[in-house]
Amino acid sequence: MSDVNVMKPMPHTETGAGVYNEKLGIWVFLGSEIMFFTALIGSYIILRVGNPGAWPAVGPREVLNIPITAGNTFLLICSSVSMVKAFAAIAAGDQRGLRLWLIVTVVMGASFVGVQAYEYSQLVHHGFVPSGGIFPSTFYTMTGFHGFHVTVGVICMVFVTWKAFRGKYTAQDYRGVEVIGLYWHFVDLVWIILFTIVYLI
Amino acid sequence: MEDTHNHPNYVMVWFALAVMTAVEVGITFLSWSKTALILVLVGLAIWKALLVALYFMHLRFESRPLRILAVAPIPLAFILVLAVITEFRW
Amino acid sequence: MASIAAPVEHATHGHDPSFVRKYIFSTDHKIIGIQFLLMSLLFLLLGGLLAMVIRWQQGFPGQPMPGGGAFPETMISDGIVLPEFYNSLVTMHGTFMVFFAIMPLLVGVFGNYLIPLKIGAPDMAFPRLNMASFWLAVPAGFLMLAGFWVEGGHAAAGWTAYAPLSADPEWTGVSLGQQFWCVSLIVLGLSSILGATNYITTVINMRTQGMTWFRMPLSIWALFITAILVLLAMPILSGALIMLLFDQTLGTTFFLPGDGLPILWQHLFWFFGHPEVYILILPAMGFVSDIIANGSRKPIFGYHSMVFALIGIAFLGWIVWGHHMFQSGMNPTLGMTFMISTMVISVPSAIKVFNWLGTIWGGSVKFTVPMLNACAFVAMFIIGGLSGVFMASTPVDIYIHDTYFIVAHLHYVLFGGSLFAIFGAITFWYPKMFGRMMNPFWGKVHFWLTFIFYNLTFFPMHQLGLEGHMRRIYDAGRYDFLAGTSGLNVLISVSAFILFSVQIIFVINFIVSWFKGQRAPDNPWDDTGLEWTTPSPPPHGNWATAPTVHSAPYEFSVPGMEADFLMQDQQRERQPAAPSGGSIEGGAS
Repeated sequence: MSDVNVMKPMPHTETGAGVYNEKLGIWVFLGSEIMFFTALIGSYIILRVGNPGAWPAVGPREVLNIPITAGNTFLLICSSVSMVKAFAAIAAGDQRGLRLWLIVTVVMGASFVGVQAYEYSQLVHHGFVPSGGIFPSTFYTMTGFHGFHVTVGVICMVFVTWKAFRGKYTAQDYRGVEVIGLYWHFVDLVWIILFTIVYLI
Repeated sequence: MEDTHNHPNYVMVWFALAVMTAVEVGITFLSWSKTALILVLVGLAIWKALLVALYFMHLRFESRPLRILAVAPIPLAFILVLAVITEFRW
Repeated sequence: MASIAAPVEHATHGHDPSFVRKYIFSTDHKIIGIQFLLMSLLFLLLGGLLAMVIRWQQGFPGQPMPGGGAFPETMISDGIVLPEFYNSLVTMHGTFMVFFAIMPLLVGVFGNYLIPLKIGAPDMAFPRLNMASFWLAVPAGFLMLAGFWVEGGHAAAGWTAYAPLSADPEWTGVSLGQQFWCVSLIVLGLSSILGATNYITTVINMRTQGMTWFRMPLSIWALFITAILVLLAMPILSGALIMLLFDQTLGTTFFLPGDGLPILWQHLFWFFGHPEVYILILPAMGFVSDIIANGSRKPIFGYHSMVFALIGIAFLGWIVWGHHMFQSGMNPTLGMTFMISTMVISVPSAIKVFNWLGTIWGGSVKFTVPMLNACAFVAMFIIGGLSGVFMASTPVDIYIHDTYFIVAHLHYVLFGGSLFAIFGAITFWYPKMFGRMMNPFWGKVHFWLTFIFYNLTFFPMHQLGLEGHMRRIYDAGRYDFLAGTSGLNVLISVSAFILFSVQIIFVINFIVSWFKGQRAPDNPWDDTGLEWTTPSPPPHGNWATAPTVHSAPYEFSVPGMEADFLMQDQQRERQPAAPSGGSIEGGAS
């Protein structure tokens, strides 16, 4: 790297946000992700308000497994903590801490997807399939696309972890860790909302 | 910007998130009215989301332009959902 | 992570990139812009060809079309366009023009080409992501083309794909084609969103020293604001398309009657669709501002209000979508709110029109080819905008919705507006892109012939619409009350055929000039933007050292100056007791 401080924006530029390109870029991209999940979650709210009879009277918990998914929610929250611990580690120059916490995050993230796959298989086994009406239609689409985003996140996280093991991040330049961290927290944030709206209400 | 800033107590935030999740699940099994249930659950969900955004995503320590950028799409979400709901509820 | 590599480092790598790395899988924003240009012009041509078949059917229904034998029997039988194919024709004409021609021409081409050059940056914030954007658009394009060859034919539910027609194959008889349509647009949406991320980050973070927000040219303001619209609107379409695709393939019921809500599709589509049409006009407005200031040798009138008008249009554009749905059976009170917001949005648009006129007024006008096209934009946009006021009024729209009045309106803003701006912008920036000038004589011939036959084609459509001629119908002759429209339809069709043929002039001018055009100097138009401070075409990295900006964007005919323009990287010399004025910043910078 040149003598430019890579955590700051380019020198000799007029910057609006005061952060380096990659960080600004991921926040901008997350703006589009908010809108994507708005389309799905917003449609869910509209569809349910418009047709409440299509959902079980007692609520989704009649069909969905709350204990397992509550546990899964907790797992994802923990993975967010491990992610931010990894970030804090490299910000302080702790390479070992970075690698350890990244691995924990990858394992927990992959487990989340695994549990969700198991949940799906159980639901399908009990006849709860996408073509079964508007309740399963919305359920599978929303949780499925969230799961897809988690999977993409896990893949990127593996890549970042691999780079971490090769010593590519330092206390002066840990952009990749911060960027994947922001994406990961966002995915967790969406799940927090999804879990409440789709499973509990 | 990132080089030196005080890291918040991530463990405290984690604990708060865990407790709120448990409370949410617990509430679901009580026999409250639908309205009360929705209000409390959505409120808790928003609070949890804010904790993640402010502390894990460090928005609490970022510049004002970045914070505005982060929340800018949210009014659009409200506009879409509220407007379309008027098709069915007035 | 090449975002902060100094431009000079690339040049001293010591190895020449291969042809493939330089021109096919390039990360250079200029090459990517030209790639988008070639791709979009091809789709523009294809969209135009589809329009020719549409106009044959409308003008001469029942008569065998010349060249009809080239089409498969499932589409055109004995030279007669089949009704099912006609539905695909109108669908695909709209789809290709909106998504694969106009949008990439405005945003993919000029967003890519101009943003780094006009803000003084060596390239985009994320050059490899930029390359990915283009190479995502290409398979999307192939997929959209492939739909013509699948069983059942291409998508046929209109470019707006209303459900449940689009969601259940039972009703359109088209299943695979409609699915291809959805998948293609999902992929293209990702390409656009990644591109928008790039443009926004670049404009916020990579403006060179001195290029403050209010020294940015209006073309860049427009592209920046458009990128924000793309970023936030396209994902809504992506979500809706996914739900539609699942209805088509997985048996979900999002938009099907029963426990789904068909009108939800319309709300989602137009929540995206209205910002989309501003995406299709705002960059054009930006280019027109640059070109008109240049052609009038005057600063843009009301630069700040132009910026705020762009922002105002973008803001308001989010709350007008229901005006596409007045006839849908939507909640009438909700409809009223949309009528009001739609009327209001005409205000910032009108401000822009008056500012363009104010710029030309009193200027030393040079009617170069770009200037002619830009002036045509203003005139045609006025007409298109005025027809919009009629449509904004719900009681009037109930009568003219889904008639040719709407078709007239949309073509006035998209062709009369955006496409003329595109012709002007291509001509204006062609020298920078290719190092050669387009032939001005043929440029003027192309302009005048296009202008005349364009108006002959589309103006009569207002009348057709008022007479009740619905859009997307196969044969007006089947309706007694439309018996009198055949004359107008013939006029329109013949004008359209000539209009399309005339475009060959532009195509030949474009291709021949590339090889034989007069070599272009750095600044052939005596313009003030930063892109003209670098050679035509610019080297990789654009400048050896980043320029520093000292002046406002439209310093033409500055009082007290000898030259009739001041480039943005130049400083005006201190004048002894000179009257201020002329400069946007009100004095020497």
